[in-house]
Amino acid sequence: MATAELSVKLQASSGSKVKDFLNANMVNILAALLFLLLAFFLLYPIVAVLIKSLRGPSGFTLQYYQNFFSKNYYYQSLINTLLLGAINTVVCLVIGFCLAYMTTRGPWILRKPLKIISLVPLIAPPYLFALSLIILFGRNGLVTRALDLHWELYGFGGVVISQTLAFIPLAYMMIESTLMSLNPNLEESAYDLGATEATILRTITIPLLAPGLLKAALLIFVMTIAEFGNAAILGGRTPFLAPDTYTMITGESDFYMGSVLSVILIAPCILIFFIHNYLLEGKKFTTIGGKPVASEPRKITPLIKVPFVIITTVAAGAILICFAVVFAASFYKILGVTHNFVLSNYLDFTSNRAIYNSIRVSFVAAVIGAIIGVLLAYVIVRGQFFGRTFIEMISLSGFALPGTVLGIGYLLAFSAPPLKLTGGIMILALNCVFRFLAVGVEAGISKLHQIHIEIEEASADLGASFLTTFYKIVLPIMFPAFIAGFIYTFMTAIVSLSAVVFLVSPGFDLAAVIIFDKAVYGEIGIASATTMKLVLIVMICMLILNFISNKTKLGSSMKKSAAV
Amino acid sequence: MKKKLIATIVVAIFAVALAGSAMAEEINAYMGLSPENNATVVKFIKDKTGITVNQNFQSFGEIQAKVKAEAPNFNADIIVGCGSPLAFMAKKNGWAVPYVSISWKGAAEVFVDPQGYWYNFSNFSFVLVGNKDRLAKAGYSMPKSWKDLLDPKWKGEIVMPSPLSSGTANQMRFTFLALYGDDAGWKFLADLDKNIHHYTRSGNAPTDLVGRGEFMLGLTSDENVKKRLDDGYPLIWTVPQEGTGYDGTFAVILNGTKKLDTAKKIIDILGTPEFSALMAQIGYVTPRPAPNKLYGKTLPKYIKIDLGKAAEDSPKNNDIWKQKFRTEFK
Repeated sequence: MATAELSVKLQASSGSKVKDFLNANMVNILAALLFLLLAFFLLYPIVAVLIKSLRGPSGFTLQYYQNFFSKNYYYQSLINTLLLGAINTVVCLVIGFCLAYMTTRGPWILRKPLKIISLVPLIAPPYLFALSLIILFGRNGLVTRALDLHWELYGFGGVVISQTLAFIPLAYMMIESTLMSLNPNLEESAYDLGATEATILRTITIPLLAPGLLKAALLIFVMTIAEFGNAAILGGRTPFLAPDTYTMITGESDFYMGSVLSVILIAPCILIFFIHNYLLEGKKFTTIGGKPVASEPRKITPLIKVPFVIITTVAAGAILICFAVVFAASFYKILGVTHNFVLSNYLDFTSNRAIYNSIRVSFVAAVIGAIIGVLLAYVIVRGQFFGRTFIEMISLSGFALPGTVLGIGYLLAFSAPPLKLTGGIMILALNCVFRFLAVGVEAGISKLHQIHIEIEEASADLGASFLTTFYKIVLPIMFPAFIAGFIYTFMTAIVSLSAVVFLVSPGFDLAAVIIFDKAVYGEIGIASATTMKLVLIVMICMLILNFISNKTKLGSSMKKSAAV
Repeated sequence: MKKKLIATIVVAIFAVALAGSAMAEEINAYMGLSPENNATVVKFIKDKTGITVNQNFQSFGEIQAKVKAEAPNFNADIIVGCGSPLAFMAKKNGWAVPYVSISWKGAAEVFVDPQGYWYNFSNFSFVLVGNKDRLAKAGYSMPKSWKDLLDPKWKGEIVMPSPLSSGTANQMRFTFLALYGDDAGWKFLADLDKNIHHYTRSGNAPTDLVGRGEFMLGLTSDENVKKRLDDGYPLIWTVPQEGTGYDGTFAVILNGTKKLDTAKKIIDILGTPEFSALMAQIGYVTPRPAPNKLYGKTLPKYIKIDLGKAAEDSPKNNDIWKQKFRTEFK
């Protein structure tokens, strides 16, 4: 940067030389700026957490770590968390795969409804499943009472069930998009040559899906262990890292132990991120990139069909029932206690401001996030500077960062002058931008790989400045990636709780946080009604977005990159 | 052209979203009552003064944690509803702005700091609640004494808030320590722990959990019990024979506020008889005597406690609590 300024000064006499210089070095200047942003808003907060965990009131200490590993209560929370993550990831992958297989390869009649059921819960906060489970299967739940059962919902089992249900949609979405972009010709040829469905699955579909499955597994694992809503509501006395971190920071103001828990939570995530990157080296299959083609339904042998149908029915049924319970709860004063139909939950306007804030924050985050994502993708692919892979790794690491950790990091890093950002809307938006950056960057990278640099070079040779080239050639190509980053950031930011819960302040409350508080507090009717309002508003936003992108004739390409 | 239009629209929405809405007289507050009681107070202030109070729900413990973490750069202008530990701490550490309000003249000394650093706009206590239906089904009756809770038949059927995050639970802890003395008090808490299913984050949560029949008994804040009974929950409540403790809900103007005048107006309105009447209707014991909705004319028996000492001992007791109840995973 410094040399850049110097050279600019030296050549100030000649305007065209400055222009030449800028044109030649714009990518590097841009990269330096973006790196500064990443360092400041992504690396620095995490380092702040690490430092806090190592520095007690009187200097450097390992005492808090010693506490963690010597006390059964603490290290048991680590074991519980890892176990929960592992079980959840496997179950979600299996169910997600079955659902995705049925909606892409199964009978036509099932495809649409199954897809809708699997995707709708995405726009509702994940801990709603804990609520439905309590209403149905709690100690005094509707089903428990009807069948006079004696079981214990509160504890490890309950958390696993609710958390699995909550993350099936995510697993489904990721696996379905890879299945869609998988060219069905290979499978069909194998089928025509007489291979059984099982053989095709084993030797073609699953190996080709491997990179997509791996990525889905990584994302589900990280999100499961970081999302604390279900565990906080159903955990009882079973300790888990994420909800304990939350209690320690917000409830007890024990920033030292909270930071230790965060560092321990982040360790397995980073490990898995590296394993994932290592495994994917050189494993990019070229079938991806073709236009998504709907596969004709084939005759599926009962051996495959029966278990698939059973798993799909149970999973879709469970999701549907849980969602129906929340929907019903929004119309009752107290579902399961007094059964009179009311509309008062919807007429409760105290949460409206929070919903409005949520939309504001998500929108701002989506715009900034999509812009930064596209620019990052550009410098990663086109730049030729030292540390390119490092920038790529950092910008994709958002996948592996538990929300709680980044929330606490922001709280630690930006709550005192001169860097005071807390207490406003910007800290919420920035947090969402950098947590969800990876999708936009990835979509941008894959778009840019599709066009050769020759077009840009031709433009430059013909005398266009860097900005003109960028504006006229690069931007139109990148626009679908921009939209993908925008949609992903908007959708995830609006329902995400784990990071923003540390950053809300009076006047800047968010819907997801309000719903969680109401739910924990027992106001299930209002929590459900607020969720329904939120779902409705998100749907309207998506429709408007869809309308705009269709108008600009970007509909088909947008969908494709949204699936990246 | 179309693209430019869309771009303009996006930029315009972006600007509006970022700028938000600048409105009439507004103030940001930390409020630690239950969500619906917070809303009632916010509405009262709006109706009487026209001031919009922005707040988000947090428990006493959470507000204390937040204010401690933010000091001395607070993200709110005023606290309307926190426990005595934080109110005393704020006075001691210079986090509070003193203001002597004329409208509070004549209130008893438990409600007003003579120098005006804090104002206690209502006292609350904790009670024992039970689920009528579940108790009837099991054939149990409501315990008469706190000691009855130690009976093994209640194992896994009692919920109470965690003193680490809830002001109500902090009050329970110092009340039992005052009632039984330190040694016997901790032994009581340890024995009680064997029957507790889990500790909730907020002091009101047990009312709902017991009301919905998830658990038979709950030690809970009294502030919502009346409301929940009116809502139709099959609840039964009692103050066992030994009596109960109390704590205040305090208002403190936070140092560094740019809205001192607005904050003063709020302090003034909290001292009026109308506000006391409103709080008493919810079930609080108020600075200006008013008929109480929950307790009626006779207030419950109170165990004698020293709020100042309780506030001072709170950090030490938290450490003991963690030592005792947060080492083993059961």
